[in-house]
Amino acid sequence: MAGEGVRVRPEESVPASGGLAPAAGGGSVPTSPTVRSVWRGGRLIALLGLIVVAVATAVVLLGPDRGAQRFLDPDDTSLQGSKALAELLRARGVTVDRVDSAEAARALGGDRLLFAGDTTYVDTSALASLPGDRLIVGFYDLPTLAPNVDPVPEAVRERSRDPECALPAATAAGSAYIGGVAFEVPDGGTGCYPSHEGSTLVSFPNGSGTTTVVGSASFMTNLRLAEDGNAALALNLLDTGKPVTWLVSPDTPPAGDLAGTEGRSMYDLMPAGVGWSLVMACVAVALVAFWRGRRLGPVVVERLPVVVRAAETVEGRGRLYRARKARARAADALRAGAIDRLTPRLGLGQGADSREVVAAIAVRTGEDAQRVGAALYGPSPETDDELVALAGYVDHIERKVSEL
Amino acid sequence: MTLTGRAGLVAALGIVVVLFAPQPGPALAGVCLLLAAGIMVDLVFAGAVRPLRFHRSGERLVRLGQRATVELTVENPGSRRVRGVLRDAWPPSAGAAPRELALDVPAGERRKLVVTLTPTRRGDRESVAVTVRSRGPLGLAARQGNHYSPWSVRVLPPFLSRKHLPSRLARLRELEGQHPALVRGQGTEFDSLREYVIGDDVRSIDWRATARRHDVVVRTWRPERDRRVLIVLDTGRTSAGRVGAAPIPLAGAVADGQGGLLVRPAPRPEPGWPRLDWSMDAALLLAALAARAGDRVDFLAYDRSVRAWLSGASRTELLSSLVNVMAPIEAELVEADAQGMVAAILSRAKRRCLVVLLTDLNGAAMDEGLMPVLPQLSSRHLVLVAGVSDPRVAAMAAGRGTAEEVYDAAAAEHARLERRRITARLRRHGVEVVDAPPDDIAPALADHYLALKAAGRL
Repeated sequence: MAGEGVRVRPEESVPASGGLAPAAGGGSVPTSPTVRSVWRGGRLIALLGLIVVAVATAVVLLGPDRGAQRFLDPDDTSLQGSKALAELLRARGVTVDRVDSAEAARALGGDRLLFAGDTTYVDTSALASLPGDRLIVGFYDLPTLAPNVDPVPEAVRERSRDPECALPAATAAGSAYIGGVAFEVPDGGTGCYPSHEGSTLVSFPNGSGTTTVVGSASFMTNLRLAEDGNAALALNLLDTGKPVTWLVSPDTPPAGDLAGTEGRSMYDLMPAGVGWSLVMACVAVALVAFWRGRRLGPVVVERLPVVVRAAETVEGRGRLYRARKARARAADALRAGAIDRLTPRLGLGQGADSREVVAAIAVRTGEDAQRVGAALYGPSPETDDELVALAGYVDHIERKVSEL
Repeated sequence: MTLTGRAGLVAALGIVVVLFAPQPGPALAGVCLLLAAGIMVDLVFAGAVRPLRFHRSGERLVRLGQRATVELTVENPGSRRVRGVLRDAWPPSAGAAPRELALDVPAGERRKLVVTLTPTRRGDRESVAVTVRSRGPLGLAARQGNHYSPWSVRVLPPFLSRKHLPSRLARLRELEGQHPALVRGQGTEFDSLREYVIGDDVRSIDWRATARRHDVVVRTWRPERDRRVLIVLDTGRTSAGRVGAAPIPLAGAVADGQGGLLVRPAPRPEPGWPRLDWSMDAALLLAALAARAGDRVDFLAYDRSVRAWLSGASRTELLSSLVNVMAPIEAELVEADAQGMVAAILSRAKRRCLVVLLTDLNGAAMDEGLMPVLPQLSSRHLVLVAGVSDPRVAAMAAGRGTAEEVYDAAAAEHARLERRRITARLRRHGVEVVDAPPDDIAPALADHYLALKAAGRL
């Protein structure tokens, strides 16, 4: 048989030049790291990690205890706290007592200055009957502590304001950073630091002393105390010769309110096993994750050849023609291709001029010479439809010529 | 080490146990300890993976599109049975199957596993790693380790055009000894003397031999043999373009619907085979034919440097040497250096030969590259340029109906005009040109070679 002599038998021939590693049956080398090599390679990293963890733990444990910022707290040194003001007061011989509940405030007794700063979790209604001076911040405590002061419902921007009043504490201090809420001045009272809506500081005598209401207490914080006349205003308001009961919000809201009717929370009602089984579920999830996450062997990467279709350049040119509506170029290409194919069939040379070609086609096919001339050598089509029609007619001519 | 699904299952059962235990805290500790103990037992008593030894045997050569089997012998010199799964990792285009093999090797014994490779790409494919996962007796945990067991399989070009070979060989025999020509012509050489039979051309009677033999003897002639054919493969950027429909799907051709996260706006046409592979196919048919015709065949692959060079292979070994040399050649994404190519050809081909240049008839690339230096080559050798045309361009050129299709047709017509122009210029330089679509390039080139041989132009 003819083909047998040249049949390729690749199995029998290995190239002389080689290129294949002669493995001689193959041997094998273990490539996984041993426990010892992992320890050797990783012990430095493990040591470094240990040191980092130890240092971080030490810093956290030994470093200063920075709790959450507590607004207007006389023990808080953060920017929101007021320790600076409290220290100034103590330096001037004023007793400052920090209390975080209404009961504690009552226990200290009357004829003091009650400073109600941040009273979020304090039941101030219990203090309504407490005699003495009062300094109230904001409008939350007004119904209980100063029922005759009405706040203006619009918010007032905090900024430096001038006193513009006759209150000695304010005029001595001068301008201060105040705003927040404005109030209507009650009868017999004095309004200072006015905004358009009302006064942001109101002072009036109550039965047993003076009540002062300020729209905001920013000027008393460590952040603002050194600015403007803030420190002077704060000291003038608080240093009245009486000991100060400084009311702050407790760390946690008073307990007991959240429990159910029988005093038992949801967690008390849950069986003890639920929490522990949750821990077990975490263990199970971790085990399953490890099972599914462990790959059987390495990921094999391969450089693959690029896939480029050769026709992409031609398609790109077609899209360019389309995008730019290049009808003239498109028509020229179609005509040139048709003429290139027609001239040999018509028995004309490469250099045949247009009249010869048109005449030859008209004679052979019986088509109208003018129409053939316009199709092959005429003006460029004006619209896409004309281009499609032109392509169709050129095809028609070619078909007629090839049928000869 | 690694865990099995059974460990997860046991832990999941532990959730129930802890939930209903009278003392959940100690129950949790108990379940965890039990699990940890089970895992430790498995890790300790699982067959060791590290001392395993692997040996390979099997095929080293395979034609693209066929299957090769590689046997992997696992030897367990350890003291415990190794039971679990094994993965023989190969590059993706090697098409190794199955992905995981079950493994059970008793201590001191060996087992043979078979991996089937169905490569989707030419070139050398090397095994990457052998991974063994050895389960413990409880099936909770397993030891895992990798081994490197080298083996390389060379994937050869498929030579699909060999189906055309018998018919071309028959044509060759018509030209050749079995049908010796009686007319002396250009490109023929003296073959033999034989007795005159009625019907032979009287002009071919050798009178001197007739006088010696007492019988009328005629001379016969046959086509020249021992001509030289140099097949030059252009492996530059133009050879990377994919044309036609791939007879064997290649790696890198992303099938529609498997594009993963990429949303494809429209199904893209199949990318087909690179021009390089079609050219190789044609080169192999030509080489097979030329070797049978008694010509010497050399092979050069060039883009900016010599990628492959084969010379002086014996006729019987030519094809196997050629496929071996061709196997690792990839299209380089650089512009081919035509000047360097011509210099390389001239330095290698001292005597006149047929230079078959398999490249793309791309107007711009030819104008700047080959055209200026072609006269150097064609003055000393007979040059044949073979280019694979793109059937997609022909299909686009026939598109009519909508304006979009006509614009595409105009672009395709432009490309074809350019091709015809370059072909005409080449022919004016005295260069033979074969321009055929991918499926026809191999037989067309073979026919052209036979025509040249018949005309005695080699």
